[in-house]
Amino acid sequence: MYKRWLARLLRWTLRLDVAINRAYPTDFNPLYYTGGLSNLFLTVLVLSGIFLFFYYVPSFNEAYTSVQFITNDVPYGQIIRGIHRYAADAFIIGILLHFFRNWFTERFRFSRDEPWISGMMLLLFAGFIGVTGYVLVWDQRSELLVAMTGGVVGSVPLVGGWLRSMLFGGAGLTNLLLPRMLFLHVGPAVVLYILLWWHYVRIRHPKVWPPAVWTLFSLGLIFLLTGLVPTVSQPAASPAAGPTRLAVDLFYLLPYLGLKYLPPLALFALAVVIVAYGLYIPYQLPETQAEMGLRDSGVAQVIDANCTGCELCYYDCPYDAIVMVPSPHPGVTKAAQARKLFAIVLESRCVECGICIGACPFEALELPRLLEKDVHEKVLSACKS
Amino acid sequence: MGDRTAAFGSRIIGLSVLSLVCILGIFWGEATSHRLVVGALIGVVLLAYSFIVLFLRKGGFTGV
Repeated sequence: MYKRWLARLLRWTLRLDVAINRAYPTDFNPLYYTGGLSNLFLTVLVLSGIFLFFYYVPSFNEAYTSVQFITNDVPYGQIIRGIHRYAADAFIIGILLHFFRNWFTERFRFSRDEPWISGMMLLLFAGFIGVTGYVLVWDQRSELLVAMTGGVVGSVPLVGGWLRSMLFGGAGLTNLLLPRMLFLHVGPAVVLYILLWWHYVRIRHPKVWPPAVWTLFSLGLIFLLTGLVPTVSQPAASPAAGPTRLAVDLFYLLPYLGLKYLPPLALFALAVVIVAYGLYIPYQLPETQAEMGLRDSGVAQVIDANCTGCELCYYDCPYDAIVMVPSPHPGVTKAAQARKLFAIVLESRCVECGICIGACPFEALELPRLLEKDVHEKVLSACKS
Repeated sequence: MGDRTAAFGSRIIGLSVLSLVCILGIFWGEATSHRLVVGALIGVVLLAYSFIVLFLRKGGFTGV
């Protein structure tokens, strides 16, 4: 059932590709660059965020007025604030498009499971950073967000109170709230780059940036929106009166609408289930007969005695997972005794593809859980069947 | 020059003129402190440039 559904979604995705490729040159198709576009928006967010950071004051008394000062008095402050806000929306749209496209085209199998897992983490962190950003403005929406997030987190059995306290700096509204939110807005943004490294490291030639046409278009659209629909705050937070209604941002705050229909603990449980399922997606489909046993063939290993330092594996590895180092000692075989270099496999980069084994004429590399005799047996049994 | 190339060429010229007008608008906006207008016009210029890059390619002026 799931497989049939996925096959249908794949067909629709490919049809959409074909339709877009009729309008644009193939290498301009924006759906091929959803990851690169997200990266572009992240860069815009970081640069505009640095600007805003210099003016923002994280305290109850001054947070709102400092945001108003940026908006009304700092030259081009409202433009930069708008860029930060719209780039944040574009960032989450880019990530979601990237997520669904890679899901529907099954780009999560084999060595792509790690990019998938890191991508899920990036999505989670991006959502979290977005919510903390909304709190920093400290208007009525921020106040309501704190109340609703506190309610959801606090409803978790056993650790809820502790979690809430860690997140907000104590029960109720304390002076620690906004400094902590600022830290939780900026700190995870740094983590995003670590996750991005993990996301890219095992992908061959990742498309890190979109082509110029889409870079210009995206930046242009953000500037245009900034000018036409300026970013403004809600009325200032007033804990005495209390907020009444939530102005929902479709891309970050939509899950909070769930609180209208579900108790906080049920919403939290639902979020956990969705995230857990997202992490499980790469392992959901059973392997086909042809794929059986290929996923866990183990990181390639160099057989010290046989390596001649010829560098063929180094040149052939498409993932840059092999480096050559000065040989610490001679090899054992005749060809390896005069070696000057020695191959080392970087485990974090190796995708267990076996290309280096094909490249090596000296049988100096192997996949520990998929030895040549195993391949031989598989080929023979496949031929017989 | 084929009809298709000429059509894209005239679009590129149109967009270039639009960009130039927007640049003048940016100067006006800066001089008169209409900064939101400046932001929007920067957006229009960037959008126009993106279409110029696209039409350069589709018209066969650049790329393959």
